Amino acid sequence: MKALMLKLEPLIWLLFGAGMMVGGFVLPAFIATVGLGLIGNEAAYSYDRMYAFFSNPIAKLAAVAAMALPLWGGVHHLRHVWIDFGGLKTDGIVGGLLYLLALGGSVAAIVAVVTL
Amino acid sequence: MAQVKKTLIVTRFDPDKDQAPRTQKYEISIEDDAKVLDALNQIKDHVDPTLSHRWSCRMAVCGSCGMNVNGKPKLTCKDPISAYGDVIEVTPLASFPVVKDLVVELEGFMDKFKKVKPWIMVAKERAVEAGPTKQSPDELADFKQFSMCINCMLCYSACPVVSNEPDFLGPAAIAIGHRYNQDTRDEGARERNEIFRDDGGVFSCSYANECSEVCPKHVDPSAAIQQAKLNNVLDWAKSFVVPRGGK
Amino acid sequence: MHARPRLDAMRPKKEGATRTADPRPPDRFPFGGNYGPYLLFGSCGAFLLFTSLIAIEFVMALGGGQAKYEAFMSRIQGGAYRAYFWIALVALIWFTVRFFRLFPKTQPYRLGPFKRPPDAVLLTGLLGAFVVLNLAVAVILGGVLG
Repeated sequence: MKALMLKLEPLIWLLFGAGMMVGGFVLPAFIATVGLGLIGNEAAYSYDRMYAFFSNPIAKLAAVAAMALPLWGGVHHLRHVWIDFGGLKTDGIVGGLLYLLALGGSVAAIVAVVTL
Repeated sequence: MAQVKKTLIVTRFDPDKDQAPRTQKYEISIEDDAKVLDALNQIKDHVDPTLSHRWSCRMAVCGSCGMNVNGKPKLTCKDPISAYGDVIEVTPLASFPVVKDLVVELEGFMDKFKKVKPWIMVAKERAVEAGPTKQSPDELADFKQFSMCINCMLCYSACPVVSNEPDFLGPAAIAIGHRYNQDTRDEGARERNEIFRDDGGVFSCSYANECSEVCPKHVDPSAAIQQAKLNNVLDWAKSFVVPRGGK
Repeated sequence: MHARPRLDAMRPKKEGATRTADPRPPDRFPFGGNYGPYLLFGSCGAFLLFTSLIAIEFVMALGGGQAKYEAFMSRIQGGAYRAYFWIALVALIWFTVRFFRLFPKTQPYRLGPFKRPPDAVLLTGLLGAFVVLNLAVAVILGGVLG
């Protein structure tokens, strides 16, 4: 697993960098609206309105990027924190599991949008 | 110049006598504009000749006198004692095995330094008749900052990854490798980038930025490492499109 | 809490002639000085991860029909979720601003024929984009626009 992670490291780093950017530009707004309802009223978050919005192909594409990329940003950071606290010996397993989680989440993001 | 009293708590370790490092207290009177290195030299010259520490130029260009002072990696020749209170703790650089007192084993760094091939690599030596190579000011600016490293290793002492990943090349080695990758006279970027992609390469850096915080020559090694990561990704992507050896 | 370095940190390939003492950890690691904010920054990866997972669940609920969607929206208004969202909002804003502060010097001095803009310009641009994009997403999702 460690050898595979090493081989894919440039791609992982690219996804991680993109994830931090996209996450920063979008996730605070997601939390402020869908999470906390700080903007808009109940009607804005109604099923009909949300479904209509996310049925738009551009919105779907943006949603996939906004959901999938920050996963890679998150798990890559967590992997390095694990190593910082002395976890290098188990980096193969822990890192591998984290990246599998990101991969699984990315697939789930695509499936979620495609099956809308 | 006024005299001030300072207490130095210095790490001592004699491999022939000590199981592990210990501390020793020295109370001295010294000029108030002295540097920490001056204080150590005063101890060695007049108080305890057995104290061992490295130093040379006394003007922050040789990189020999790096130590941790009150927990921070410093060049002791340019670190004024006036910046500290009455008690100054001097310990060897962190993350290095200790040879004696404040002297650390440097060969581990040398191994990593040599690994990045810090020299101009060309496929074919330029003929003398061809004249000197020319670089524009912009081409020089691409790498000049990263060439200012004096190998003092304060960056290694500050880096959390160095102490946790023994294979990590480290800030100074990557910075110098990147310096050569950026040099228009060099043709070894692909070879160096493979080393950078190996275990302990550039992607082991987690951008703590402490290396740049402590660097006394403003090399900004963490900038070099992040730029090297981006270069490496581009080089890696290019390797799928352009055959090995292609431009 | 003090860190312990690996005992083989910076060990040379060939052992020297005399016995050496084990390396010390970087002083003040893990929580002193700048190390604390650095580890906090890394730990904010958890907020990126969990918020993204909640966003995925949101879209899945949307695709699952009105009942599933309304059940999801009702669940995330619970106490634990609200506490998480407030903490995550503050954390992600701090995380992003810190990332932007560290971003300019990661770019090369030149990109092709163009020189890298001054750091202050890059930082202002990033922060501006952060505000504009988040506002845009917020007003669109919140129904203020469209």
